Amino acid sequence: MSGGRARTESPRTEPRRALPQESGRSELDRKFARLGWLFTVPAMLVVLAVTLFPIAFSVAMSLSHVTVSADGFQLSGFTGEHYKLLLQSDRWRHAVVFTVLYTIGTVVAELVLGTLIALVLEQLSGGRGWMMALLLLPWAMITVVSAQLWAYMYNGVYGVLTAMTEGLTGTPFQFLGTPLPAVLSMAAADVWKTTPFVAIIVLAGLMMLPSDVVEAARVDGAGAWTAFWKVRLPLLRPALVIAVLFRVLQAFGIFDLPFVLTGGGPGDATESLALLGWHVMFTNLDFGPGAAVAASTAALVLVGCLIFLRAFKARVGDEETQ
Amino acid sequence: MNVRPRVGFHFRWAHLWALLVALFVAAPLYWMAVSSLKPLEEVGANPPTAWPETLTFENYRQAFTDNNFGRYLLNSAAVSLLATGLVLALSAFAGYALARLPLRGKSPIMVALLMISLFPTIALAAPLFLLMREVGWLNSYQGLILVYTALNIPFAIWILRNFFLQIPKEMEEVAWVDGASPVRTVLRVILPQALPGMFTAAIFTFTACWTEFLIGLTLNTADDYRTMPVGVALFGSTFTVPYGTIFAAATVSVLPIALLVLVFRRAVVSGLTSGAVKG
Repeated sequence: MSGGRARTESPRTEPRRALPQESGRSELDRKFARLGWLFTVPAMLVVLAVTLFPIAFSVAMSLSHVTVSADGFQLSGFTGEHYKLLLQSDRWRHAVVFTVLYTIGTVVAELVLGTLIALVLEQLSGGRGWMMALLLLPWAMITVVSAQLWAYMYNGVYGVLTAMTEGLTGTPFQFLGTPLPAVLSMAAADVWKTTPFVAIIVLAGLMMLPSDVVEAARVDGAGAWTAFWKVRLPLLRPALVIAVLFRVLQAFGIFDLPFVLTGGGPGDATESLALLGWHVMFTNLDFGPGAAVAASTAALVLVGCLIFLRAFKARVGDEETQ
Repeated sequence: MNVRPRVGFHFRWAHLWALLVALFVAAPLYWMAVSSLKPLEEVGANPPTAWPETLTFENYRQAFTDNNFGRYLLNSAAVSLLATGLVLALSAFAGYALARLPLRGKSPIMVALLMISLFPTIALAAPLFLLMREVGWLNSYQGLILVYTALNIPFAIWILRNFFLQIPKEMEEVAWVDGASPVRTVLRVILPQALPGMFTAAIFTFTACWTEFLIGLTLNTADDYRTMPVGVALFGSTFTVPYGTIFAAATVSVLPIALLVLVFRRAVVSGLTSGAVKG
């Protein structure tokens, strides 16, 4: 596999041949292709072993009778009953509705707030670097830690936010006590942690925009508002699409925050699909139905992704053909 | 970044808004740090005190001597660092091949990687738990490291590939023509030019491992093998949550990340943009 042999093909007279070419499959090209696989295969094997294989296994599990005992687990025989159970379960339907609405709500809020913050930071004449560093802190923070922090601030007896509502209205507001406030409080904690990420992506996108386009719009008499909506926002679309895609997927798989903040409660008001799957699998040890919940979550994500990518015609992996 | 010459400080609305944003972001962090310095009664005081009436480091002592938070932090650091190293080693070569070498089916591979990196981890929890139980890698370092490595390779390949694509081809051409071995070419010629990319991938991978909870909770629940997120989530009983102790440990866990982010904010920001946006 030594590239030293490439010399024998007298590349000095024809240096272009030395680099892998897309067309024409010469001996050298095949050698480079082999090398490519040699470089790629180890990473792929690890990914396959730890993700694709378990996913396939999970799907198989969701379609089988599963018996788990002290000395192992067994899949025996095909069954569709786990999915039937799922479709008949109010708890699953609630988790789907909650997860979808929660994802849409938080991502829209983050996108609007993040864009506003980015527009503000763009105007700053100094200290932008420090602001960015500050914004990166919630992003890099352990979600479980921020969940504990918000649980403490929302605490009905000694939470600082509860005390603030008491000071303002005379009665302490119970943030996590009833379903709707609990959902909104959780969303607020989520927005605090993830909006900075969106703001930084949008800000970076703003800074990469060609300034002459905006100038041209100004010259043509467009106000700042029109220039933003008609000129800059469309140019920002690639940055926004990526930010939204990342956020949607993260929000859809939300687990850490409800696990610590609410435990899915009150009732099952904040029980996301991931948390439901976890409870079924590891609290009830019902691996079959749990796998069905997990598989349904993955299927929803997949469908959502495909729709999203198609809608925004985001093309991936073909930059070299440009 | 800003080239407009400025003399003195001109008030603008943007400054006021930026101040509000900074307060909104910083206030909870302040509350965490301050609460970690309060004695037990004051942590549970109503109304809360904005600054500790009695400043104490008792919570820190409790977190790291009476409780196992030091161990959790070390576990997290060990797992995250080793996984990051493995991710970089594997992704650098794969990312280079996918950027430059004539592989068939590059696009499908990249799309598949993207899909995998976006997959909800809950779908992996049960099968990984069962598999690790079979192998005997529950409550071990190698199990968690393997999983974290696999979960972060796809995104690292994406970031690195984008950086490799931007390197001028001439340098490698010279190396290939001079007959350097492929591995040597990548290590000596390509990687040094993609150093910012490696850096960005490293920070992203480390942060992802450092904060990961679901798989950690699934595989490592034995006290000595808990990572920091698992330790923080499972600490205390159902009825009383010892917030002071938790926040002492949490403040310590935020410090290395804060330092990292402060020092390397340019790399992180460029990763968020060139790594993610270019796709």
